[in-house]
Amino acid sequence: MGLLTSEIKNLIGAESGIEVACEPVERGAVRRYVQACMDDDPIFHSQEVTHRLRYEAPVAPPLFPMNMFRRPFGTPDPFAEHAHNPDFDGIVGSTAQGLPPLPLPKGIGLLNAGTEVEVLRYARHGEVVTAKSRYHSITEKESSKGPMLLVVIETEYRTDGGELLLRVEKTQIRR
Amino acid sequence: MGASCFFEWKKLRSGDNIVRRCYEHVNIGDALGPLRKGPLTSAHLLRWSAAMENWHKIHYDRRFAVEHDKLPGILVNGTLKQQFIMQLLREWAAHDGWVWKVGFQFRAMNLEGETLSMWGRVTRKRKANRYGLVDLELGIMNDEKKESTPGTAVIALPYEKGEPVPYPFVPPEGE
Repeated sequence: MGLLTSEIKNLIGAESGIEVACEPVERGAVRRYVQACMDDDPIFHSQEVTHRLRYEAPVAPPLFPMNMFRRPFGTPDPFAEHAHNPDFDGIVGSTAQGLPPLPLPKGIGLLNAGTEVEVLRYARHGEVVTAKSRYHSITEKESSKGPMLLVVIETEYRTDGGELLLRVEKTQIRR
Repeated sequence: MGASCFFEWKKLRSGDNIVRRCYEHVNIGDALGPLRKGPLTSAHLLRWSAAMENWHKIHYDRRFAVEHDKLPGILVNGTLKQQFIMQLLREWAAHDGWVWKVGFQFRAMNLEGETLSMWGRVTRKRKANRYGLVDLELGIMNDEKKESTPGTAVIALPYEKGEPVPYPFVPPEGE
């Protein structure tokens, strides 16, 4: 049976609203992020260095805004719902912020197939970031493991003042 | 902001004497890197998952990855590999240049324990009004010379006697 149902086809072109990241760019979150990816560039933390360069203030790594859309305070714990489900894969929430999830059969997994990014500027510490996403395309292909969907999601990340930070096209494999 | 600022910044990091990378001094075939990371242990992968608040079990739960998802082991996150590529490109472009576009395809898995080498190569040069554009091919190779993440990038570099690439970045017309 194919995965590309009419219900899923109808979602091509669907847009999210403008989502606001639950926290501004936090210095501590940037520290954990750059330590985890092992990139010790002083533009990520040094006022002195960034003041002399063109960034004016410490900035987050270029792709950081893509990872700012997290579970806000006061929302239900998604792990509780799955505590007794041995098939729970750990993926919580929508796989693209604000977009309706694809109505796929139980057990269909998700792999990140690739990303195209256009970078216009870096987010500074303290800035609020927004995102707006769209299902750009959803196509079905046959793989050695059966049918799979290639899902392309476009997202624009901006400051709350409307300045464009990043344009991203993510391709997900669902099978 | 000028060359001396960058020289000072670079000294802070590595003692490297590169002041700025100019369009005229780049040749087709020039190599970037490699930037090496690893061996990537389960601790590295869990640290990245935690920094991202990405709880997909295939990146830290070996039993789930192998027994449930039938993977050969826990996987290095695609998002972590993206960061490594961005670091390679950003450091090469230096602070007067700009990493404008990057695309990655996650063609093969990288597993816990691997050491990754991020590489790039200049494939084309073209002039825009205020800066030059350099096209690159790039990828991520493990120690068994398996390529996992082929991609491309476009970097804007200043002309030798020109101003730094504008920040925030202003794309050239028609691209």
